[in-house]
Parts: sequence; structure tokens; C-alpha cells
Amino acid sequence: MNNSPKLTPGKYDLIVVAAVLALAALLGARFWLSPAPESGTLLAVVEIDGAEVDRFTLAQAAEETRTYTNNGVTLTVAPCATVKRDAETRTQTETAGVRVVSSDCPTQDCVHTGQISRAGQSIVCLPAHIVITLAGADADYDLITG
Amino acid sequence: MRKRFLSLLLTALTVVSLTACGAEKPAVKTVYAMDTVMTLTAYGKNAEEAVAAAEEELYRLDQLLDRFAENSELAAINANAGAPTGVSDELAELIALSRHISEKTLGAFDPTVAPVMDAWGFGGESPRVPTQPELEVLLSTIGAARIVISYEDRPRVTIGSAQALDLGGIAKGYAGGCVKEIFEKYGCTGVIDLGGDVMLAGKKTDGKDWRVAVKDPNDPSDFLGTLTLSDCAVVTSGIYERNFTEDGVLYHHIIDPATGRPAESGLVSATVVCADGAYADALSTAAFVLGARGAVSLCDRFGTETPLLELLLVTDDGRVLCTAGLDGIFEPNTESGYLYEQLS
Repeated sequence: MNNSPKLTPGKYDLIVVAAVLALAALLGARFWLSPAPESGTLLAVVEIDGAEVDRFTLAQAAEETRTYTNNGVTLTVAPCATVKRDAETRTQTETAGVRVVSSDCPTQDCVHTGQISRAGQSIVCLPAHIVITLAGADADYDLITG
Repeated sequence: MRKRFLSLLLTALTVVSLTACGAEKPAVKTVYAMDTVMTLTAYGKNAEEAVAAAEEELYRLDQLLDRFAENSELAAINANAGAPTGVSDELAELIALSRHISEKTLGAFDPTVAPVMDAWGFGGESPRVPTQPELEVLLSTIGAARIVISYEDRPRVTIGSAQALDLGGIAKGYAGGCVKEIFEKYGCTGVIDLGGDVMLAGKKTDGKDWRVAVKDPNDPSDFLGTLTLSDCAVVTSGIYERNFTEDGVLYHHIIDPATGRPAESGLVSATVVCADGAYADALSTAAFVLGARGAVSLCDRFGTETPLLELLLVTDDGRVLCTAGLDGIFEPNTESGYLYEQLS
């Protein structure tokens, strides 16, 4: 039976171990510490003809109304505010969702849809081929029927 | 020395590759077809090819099944009403299925209701309430039993001279089934959202079932609850889409073929869970028109034709009625204020 040679870690082995650990730590830090806008934060994603043209958080939505035009139709998206009361009954206003406040499309379905405030919900303007979808928050469902 | 640096390189590559092992990114495509917007989401190695093929299939079906599309087979049948029109095998089969479902739902679903729908103008620029005499004339044209399908050298469809066929009540569900087959052919799983009609292809990448939230018909920004399912269609007919208000009265688009007016069955929405998309689509309309008592009979009548058929109905007095097969599948939203009961 052959005896195995005794293995003693050398200088280069330590360099290899250190390099791998450093690389793993670096990549792990990037994964765990970087902000994740797709998770937890509700985002409004606007698509025209299936291509994304805008993306904003509800906090950003509160700052201004936004206007989109396609197929000769112009619609305006505005935030929907909700009032919450804290423990000391001081009121706080926060943006709960978005809605289409006006559109010059013939059917007005997008206006009649009203407010959307949960991940996966969308407002569709068929004549304009514009879809506004809420995405990004951690939802306990994959899609919506109805 | 060389071996050691080689091992370093391999190890580094392994570490880098592991960081890419997060959630699998799906291929997603938005498609405008069948008078709605559809979202196709596929997972798998060939997901991009699957959604591209599915998009082409949806455009093909839109052209085949749209009665307003120039040169469509369906438009040809309507233009040639009263005489036989040669059609493809696929269209003949779907018309035959529509006629079959119409017969077995006692006309609650009827593909010849188009002239009445046109009179109401739902989804158009000027919806209106037709007069009763106008409706009575149009009602005389309704009846799927008058559709004749003959098979000679090719299938031929004949409808009554004053009739018009509209497959809008079954087309999206049928299309969902076709897209599901494409996903399967490409080895993909995924979800197909056809303007709120849902088709689930396989399970999620983690092996779990999909979770489908069901809109609250009285507040479409909220949910009745969540269904946990895979490999089936989920289709809802509700009062909250394509409606208009005149003199304080809400008129919704789900027409009762017996009266020519929006169905007043005591339901505000009907959700059908079914293995087959076309059945799910047509039966959601039928269930809504029939009301709770009539809808439950659909499970008996169609139970032998499809391996899965369950109902979730919302009544206008605040109840949610589920068939027994949804036990453990439907998780109610306890904050919705509805009474949840089993449908029997």
C-alpha cells in the first residue's frame, strides 16, 4: 500500500484561500447590502405598446402628475392620498396608489378603473396601448383574476 | 503553482456562478389582441422562444376569431348569413363547442347574442339602453341551435339569415389553452393573463402552486381571497367591467340571452376554475346568467367533460359561495366583510 504524501499548506495555498474568501465576502456584501428596489417598495411601471417608458415609486408619484401620450390619446396619472393617524392622533398623509384622473380616449375605461394600490393591479387604456402596473412590493399572490 | 492558480480560477468562477442562482428571471411579453391586453410570463430554458411563439399564436387566433377583423373566417360567416360558409377545422370545432355549451347551459351562454350586444354598445363610444321593441326584434335572432355545421370536403357553417356569431365569450379562454400548449411544447411553465382571464401552465419554479388573487366585484381594488392552483384556467365574469350608468342605473355587459338585458341573477361575479380554458370562459358567463342555483348544476352537467370544474360566486347580498372542491384551495380575505358559504 502506498503512503499518501503529507500535505502541508504553503504560502500559495493561503493566498488561494484568502482570495476566495475575499471574493465571496465581496459578492455576498453586494447581494445582501445593496438596496433592492424590486422588493418591498411599490413601483408604478408604465408601458406603451409593451415597452417600459416610466417607472416611479409612490412617493415620487406624490410629487407631480404625469402625462403620457400614444395613438393620439393623452392620459394623466395622479397619486391617490390616504390619511393615517399615528399613536398621538396626529394625521399623516401618504400615497396609497395611483389612478388615471383624465384621458381623452373614447371609452374612459382607464378613468373608470379608479385607484390601484396593490402589487399586480393595473390600469389599461386600450385605445392608447398604455398600461400602468403596480409592481415590486412583496405580494402573497402571483397574479390577479377578474 | 500553475495548478494552484487554476484552482483559484475555478473556485472564483464557482462563487460568481452561485451568485446568479437567485430567482429565475422569466420571459415576459405584453400582447394587444382580442380587444384586451395580455401578459405572457414563461419560465424555463426556452422561455424567450415560448413567449415569441405564443405572441404569434395570439395574433393568429385574433385574426381567426374576431368578427370585426377584415377577411376573418368569422366575419365571412356573418357576411354570408343564411348560406353555408367554408371554414377551417379549428374554427368549426370551436363553433361546435360553443353550440354544445349553449345547449347544455339552456342558452345561458349563447354565441349568437351579438346583435343584442351591438345594440347596447358596451365598450364603444356611445353605450345606450335599447328600447324594448328593439330588443324583442333582436331577441328573435338569438339561438345557437340554428347554427348548422356540415362536413363535406371541408367544414361549412351556416347561421340564420338575421344572426351574427360572436365568439368573444369563449375565445380568450380557448386562446389561453393554446398558449399553454405552446409553453408545454417549449418545456416552460408560466402564467398567461388574458385581460383578467388566467391560464396557469404547470407549477412555479419552486414546485409550488400559483396563487391567484380574486378581485372583489364591489371594490375591484381589493380582493375576495386567493386561490392556490396549477395547470388550469381561472376566469371571472363580473359587473365591474364594461358597464355604464344611465339615470342612476348601472348596466353591465353580461347579457342574459333570454331577456336581452344585463343579467339579474343575484350575482355580482362568477369565477370558474376549470382544466380547460374554453370551458372556463364560456361557463363563467353561463354561471353568472344562471345565478347561484343554476350555476351549481353546471358542475353536474359538465363534470364528465372536464376533470376540474369549481365555482366561486359572489351574491348581491354580500355572500361568497364556493363549491366543495375549493376547500383548501380558496383562502378567503377575512377582512372583506363577506359571508363565506359552501355551495351545494
